[in-house]
Amino acid sequence: MPQTLPDFSNSVKLKYVKLGYQYLVNHILYLLLVPIMVAILIEVLRLGPDEILNLWKSLHFDLVQILCSSFLIIFIATVYFMSKPRHVYLVDYACYKPPVTCRVPFATFMEHSRLILKNNPKSVEFQMRILERSGLGEETCLPPAIHYIPPTPTMEAARGEAELVIFSAMDSLLQKTGLKPKDIDILIVNCSLFSPTPSLSAMVINKYKLRSNIKSFNLSGMGCSAGLISIDLARDLLQVHPNSNAVVVSTEIITPNYYQGNERAMLLPNCLFRMGGAAILLSNRRRNRSRAKYRLVHVVRTHKGADDKAYRCVFEEEDKEGKVGISLSKDLMAIAGEALKSNITTIGPLVLPASEQLLFLMTLIGRKIFNPKWKPYIPDFKQAFEHFCIHAGGRAVIDELQKNLQLSAEQVEASRMTLHRFGNTSSSSLWYEMSYIEEKGRMKKGDRVWQIAFGSGFKCNSAVWKCNKTIKTTTDNPWSDCIDRYPVHIPEIVKL
Amino acid sequence: MTSEMITYICKRTVVSTKPAQAGKCNPLSVFDRLMEKNHIRIVYYFPSTRNGEPGVVTKKLRESLSHVLTCFPIVTGRLQKKDDGHWMIKCNDAGVRMVEARTQGSVEEWLKNVNRDKELMLVTWEDMFHKPYFWATFYVQLTEFEEGGLAIGFSCSHLLADPTSATMFVKAWADTTLAGTMLAPPFFHPLPPPRLGNKNPNHNPYTDLINHYKSTIDDRSPAFTNNITNYVTATLAFSGPMVQACMLDTSRPSPFEAMAGLLWVCVSKVKGMKQGLISMSICLDMRKQLGLDKGFFGNCLVYNKVHHAESLLDKSELSEAARAVGESVTKMNNERIMDLIEWLEHHDYEFPPLMNGHDLICANLEDLDPYATLFEEGFVPIRVSYYVEPVFGIGQILVLQSPPSEGPLSRMVMVTLPADELSKLCDDDLILRFNPTILMG
Repeated sequence: MPQTLPDFSNSVKLKYVKLGYQYLVNHILYLLLVPIMVAILIEVLRLGPDEILNLWKSLHFDLVQILCSSFLIIFIATVYFMSKPRHVYLVDYACYKPPVTCRVPFATFMEHSRLILKNNPKSVEFQMRILERSGLGEETCLPPAIHYIPPTPTMEAARGEAELVIFSAMDSLLQKTGLKPKDIDILIVNCSLFSPTPSLSAMVINKYKLRSNIKSFNLSGMGCSAGLISIDLARDLLQVHPNSNAVVVSTEIITPNYYQGNERAMLLPNCLFRMGGAAILLSNRRRNRSRAKYRLVHVVRTHKGADDKAYRCVFEEEDKEGKVGISLSKDLMAIAGEALKSNITTIGPLVLPASEQLLFLMTLIGRKIFNPKWKPYIPDFKQAFEHFCIHAGGRAVIDELQKNLQLSAEQVEASRMTLHRFGNTSSSSLWYEMSYIEEKGRMKKGDRVWQIAFGSGFKCNSAVWKCNKTIKTTTDNPWSDCIDRYPVHIPEIVKL
Repeated sequence: MTSEMITYICKRTVVSTKPAQAGKCNPLSVFDRLMEKNHIRIVYYFPSTRNGEPGVVTKKLRESLSHVLTCFPIVTGRLQKKDDGHWMIKCNDAGVRMVEARTQGSVEEWLKNVNRDKELMLVTWEDMFHKPYFWATFYVQLTEFEEGGLAIGFSCSHLLADPTSATMFVKAWADTTLAGTMLAPPFFHPLPPPRLGNKNPNHNPYTDLINHYKSTIDDRSPAFTNNITNYVTATLAFSGPMVQACMLDTSRPSPFEAMAGLLWVCVSKVKGMKQGLISMSICLDMRKQLGLDKGFFGNCLVYNKVHHAESLLDKSELSEAARAVGESVTKMNNERIMDLIEWLEHHDYEFPPLMNGHDLICANLEDLDPYATLFEEGFVPIRVSYYVEPVFGIGQILVLQSPPSEGPLSRMVMVTLPADELSKLCDDDLILRFNPTILMG
């Protein structure tokens, strides 16, 4: 992987040079402005008050001129304020905590696997090896229908799981924010693999008796990054509709997608995907400004679907026996890396401080003009963000991103611990990670958070949030009973 | 009622609510290892509860089972062989198997027409797999009766628990369902260690008990390895005054000795013994003798052959039989059991024996107290049946407590014999003298 500019950057002297350079470039405006202001002040003082008064009288002001200039100023100000995008605030969010009775320890998972796949010991071995290296813990949960021997993934069970997860998350959200169901103007539900008729958003509207003129959307098939796609959609809608509340529900329903065949590439999701969901309240109302937790700063979406390999790397299809499963291709990590690079190139200029952008530009120019063998400069994103929420898609994803972005262990801790405690909960995993950071007391006012998610297609979406107020730890969140045990050391291989 | 079918709804695994400590292993004691070939089945019958909706009670019980399993890591663990070839439990949190079922009628109707085969349908059991690491050692079946009532079938391998421990586990489950806490937490620790030093050089280990075990272990007679006898079980309820009368007749102070003597004589008669009594062993719980708490989880049942005097000229057969039983009971004291444990520690055997494979076994399960198992306030079990399977050899007698409404001295005896012998037993004069109510069989 490419390194930062010189090899001896570990040396202390260079560290101070680097710090000085960053300070210089990031505050260039102030550094230029201050001497100019000082110069003007000195000049003014030198001239003396009488001279200034004479200067003032010599300017002839016409009434028309004054009126026109003031109108111009007011006009420009109005246009500026009107065209400024509305601020979108995240008032609060709630994550679903599965009941303890749905817990699936490794031993139980392997035993069930053996009983169900009794004619395929190789597939069982494969699952065991995946589970050993997965980074999951012993407290992840699967829905009740998957606990049966053999599993009974009926539509009724799937609806049951959807109701359980979504309604619990919604109840929790309504209670936390004090929101009344009648005040919800926009509802977006995203669930990739389960899409019944009527839709899950209709199910929510029915249960909570939401208004008849609600703007509801149901996104399906968009993979693990659908959560951020929903946030993006909500943001766009909140630009058009003033004074509105938007509720986003992100979840993944496991019941209908439990693969019951033997194809190895398709058994992987069984080992990693677990029950989870989150409900988020976004608003553009002024009165929510003071009590909101975060403000949405940027959402950047990158889609690599134009490339055939990227399109086919996460593919739902039937295996030789006609059983439906999601096949993951071997070059998933490489494609994820490509998508990430693409996303970073777009988000970099939006969030990076001037110093990093300048360095990147210089190296880019240098590589193009002088010497193509120069190593490309990886901007230091730690300068742009205080917290990172990387979708807990699997241990490999987190490892890869940690390496690519050169993040420290503490910065990927939220992702790793979420994977350990909750497994891969798909689109809602980002919210569990946010919750972890909050419950650890690390979220302070002004902190910037970067959420990155990957999804089938192949997509890489990221969102940037700015913390609005220092967040106190609470007791009504999914981490409340176990946060003290974390962080835990997750061994490379857990011996089963 | 003859075409009652039990509809099986589902089978699943129930795990504890908190993860077990990783890597913990519990070795099995010498008494545990002897019982490899046996398993226990218990059926609890409960009357209808207030909650009429099907599935509600099952769900509640399943959740409380999860909670109670957190305190019993041995129950959710799996068997593995240690380096020295002996069994141990790896506490890997795999869970217990649960089967949910439903059947027509009410629990009272069922009890009127029940027999051994039907009762065993209420308990699920799977024999040890080829790879025991993936074999569940504990099974629970919840059968809801459509017109009211619930049957809880509990089975487990005898390697891990004896009837006392099994009853204690179900009681802990009931306490957790009722009040959220267990009244008597379990103890998982090994048997008392052998005494070191201070050995009387003239100490003569009690060889009768050890000989009995030695002969059982060495007994590899093929006759008991493929048994095709059709065994039937009958439950006889003896009322308090009748048990007292029997105790007076035999002049024994303990109801078990009186009942054991009575059954011994009657079974010998139906087996066709004109003179003398058939070979019988008693099986007693030795927790008190070993100074172990009642919550000791594991096997603590010891078998001992009963020796009787051949000449019965001037004493009645019944009192002689009861006296012989009493003598065997007294002989099983701390010192002798400790000697037995020591002998067992030093004597390995290649094949696990079948402790109940030869003699008539008479087990004392009087002190188990299963009727204190209340899952809901005020709902006492109507009946509790015990089975120690498989039954081989001459047969099996289990002396159990009766429901509390019958009085403290009343006893329920579950007799398992070949079908023809059992019907003869129920018509025997001596038995009928004590007027038992035949609850099953």
